[in-house]
Amino acid sequence: MKKLVSVVLLLLAITVSGSLIAQDDGDRLVGVWEPSHGKAKVKIEKIGTKYYGKIVWLKEPIDAETNKPKVDKNNPDEKMRSTPLRGYRILKDFQYTDKNEWTEGTIYDPENGNTYSCIIKMTDENTLDIRGFIGVSVLGRTDIWKRLKMPSKKK
Amino acid sequence: MFRQKLGIMLLMSVGFCQFAIGQTDTTSTQTEEEEDYSMYDNLDFVDEAAKRFAPAKIKGISPAKLITVGYDWQGKYDITAAGYTTSEGTFAEQTATVNSTQGLRLEANIPVISKNSLIVQVGARLWDINYDFDNPTSLTNPLLTTLHNNDLASMGLNSTIFKPLNEESFLLFQVSADMNGDYQFDDPQNFRYTKYSVAALWGKRPTDYKQWAVGLSRTYRGGDLNYIPVVLFNWTSPTKKWGTEILFPARAHVRYTVNPRNLLFFGYEAEGYSFRIGNQGQARPDQDFDDLEIRRSELRFRLMYERQIKGFIWLSAQAGYRYNYSFNVDQIPDGEDFYRGFFGDQEFIQENELTNPLYVSFSINLVSP
Repeated sequence: MKKLVSVVLLLLAITVSGSLIAQDDGDRLVGVWEPSHGKAKVKIEKIGTKYYGKIVWLKEPIDAETNKPKVDKNNPDEKMRSTPLRGYRILKDFQYTDKNEWTEGTIYDPENGNTYSCIIKMTDENTLDIRGFIGVSVLGRTDIWKRLKMPSKKK
Repeated sequence: MFRQKLGIMLLMSVGFCQFAIGQTDTTSTQTEEEEDYSMYDNLDFVDEAAKRFAPAKIKGISPAKLITVGYDWQGKYDITAAGYTTSEGTFAEQTATVNSTQGLRLEANIPVISKNSLIVQVGARLWDINYDFDNPTSLTNPLLTTLHNNDLASMGLNSTIFKPLNEESFLLFQVSADMNGDYQFDDPQNFRYTKYSVAALWGKRPTDYKQWAVGLSRTYRGGDLNYIPVVLFNWTSPTKKWGTEILFPARAHVRYTVNPRNLLFFGYEAEGYSFRIGNQGQARPDQDFDDLEIRRSELRFRLMYERQIKGFIWLSAQAGYRYNYSFNVDQIPDGEDFYRGFFGDQEFIQENELTNPLYVSFSINLVSP
């Protein structure tokens, strides 16, 4: 019985440590990134076991039509149309695979209110290939995001 | 023993906690806590060599179509086919009424490389153009009998390459290879009759709301081969309500955005191809001229409405006036084309006239992200 418990404990320890290493590897996605158009900055965070990205900066934060901070006015869900774009979570539900890829997630385009399936691939530590697609990956577009230096918190 | 049981329970608790954390509600798109966003104002790239490139699109521009299934219909009009003489005799000028010209239009444009520094799109196109003559048994002019018997078909492959040079400048290339004639899709004409069109432009995108480019093209938009300058000008107003989508002289439209899922356009498009007729060695009344091509070009002045049906499926509906620019016939031995341009004096075999009907066109489209 003593041996059995030791084996169980050993297996659990191996599983937990393996999972922690995989999680650490996946956490390389965490940071602030700039899409190619340079009109926004997106902060990717880990919530639970998944990764999410929210808009933290907009090149043009004011809506020329309303003269107020931009909101998600193109969202197909009318209830969401008054939500501020700054702070808006556009990347959702990404999970790390062990191939420098985060999959199973979606990306939202506030310009047209569409949500696309998305795969994130890290080509180097500071570069992401973000591929949004419709159904199959071939019907899609890749945008390249660059990592920004993390801001130091103001006191 | 107690310690071992405690250890197992502890590990199970950790596992359960991780599972519970994994269930955190992340559906909210608003931030859960107030954050000082000013800290993100001035951030540099970690990789100092990182470059920004001019995007291919501007704000507010209509979505690119990946797959299109459409139907085109022109109303009643008259064709006056010119007379001409062969060794078999003289074929008199004849005017016939076409009740409608209509057909399916299938197109696909798939991005094969889609990166910030390079976009390469490859496309295919297949058009069926059917001529429904009023009183077809009365047709005697070979051009009219050919159209009645065989209709016209057009298919082609094309590629568009967008190469940004830096944050503002870009190059744009378009190439296409088209096979147009009175062939059937299951028995296409010889590849040596393929027509090639090319355009190369250099341009700038000074703001997110404007891009322009200038260049040169080898084109069949006017029906016969021509080399002409081209100008691209895409613009969107700051409110995104108004804009232009222009690739002159091929097309020019003013855009009004009702909302991002409902767009209205007013403008024109020039459609032109050179269609080879009687080109498969078949015995025809025009066998003295077994190398004929209809230089078909029409201007379509139109009002166009595009709207999202659901998700990435969009409807496009257009109605307007089809103005015939050219329906003349040239002799092109072995498909070796010649350049007439705007000022050449080479004579046509037939100079034909068409009256101008109203037309409508519908398509269902899968649009690009």
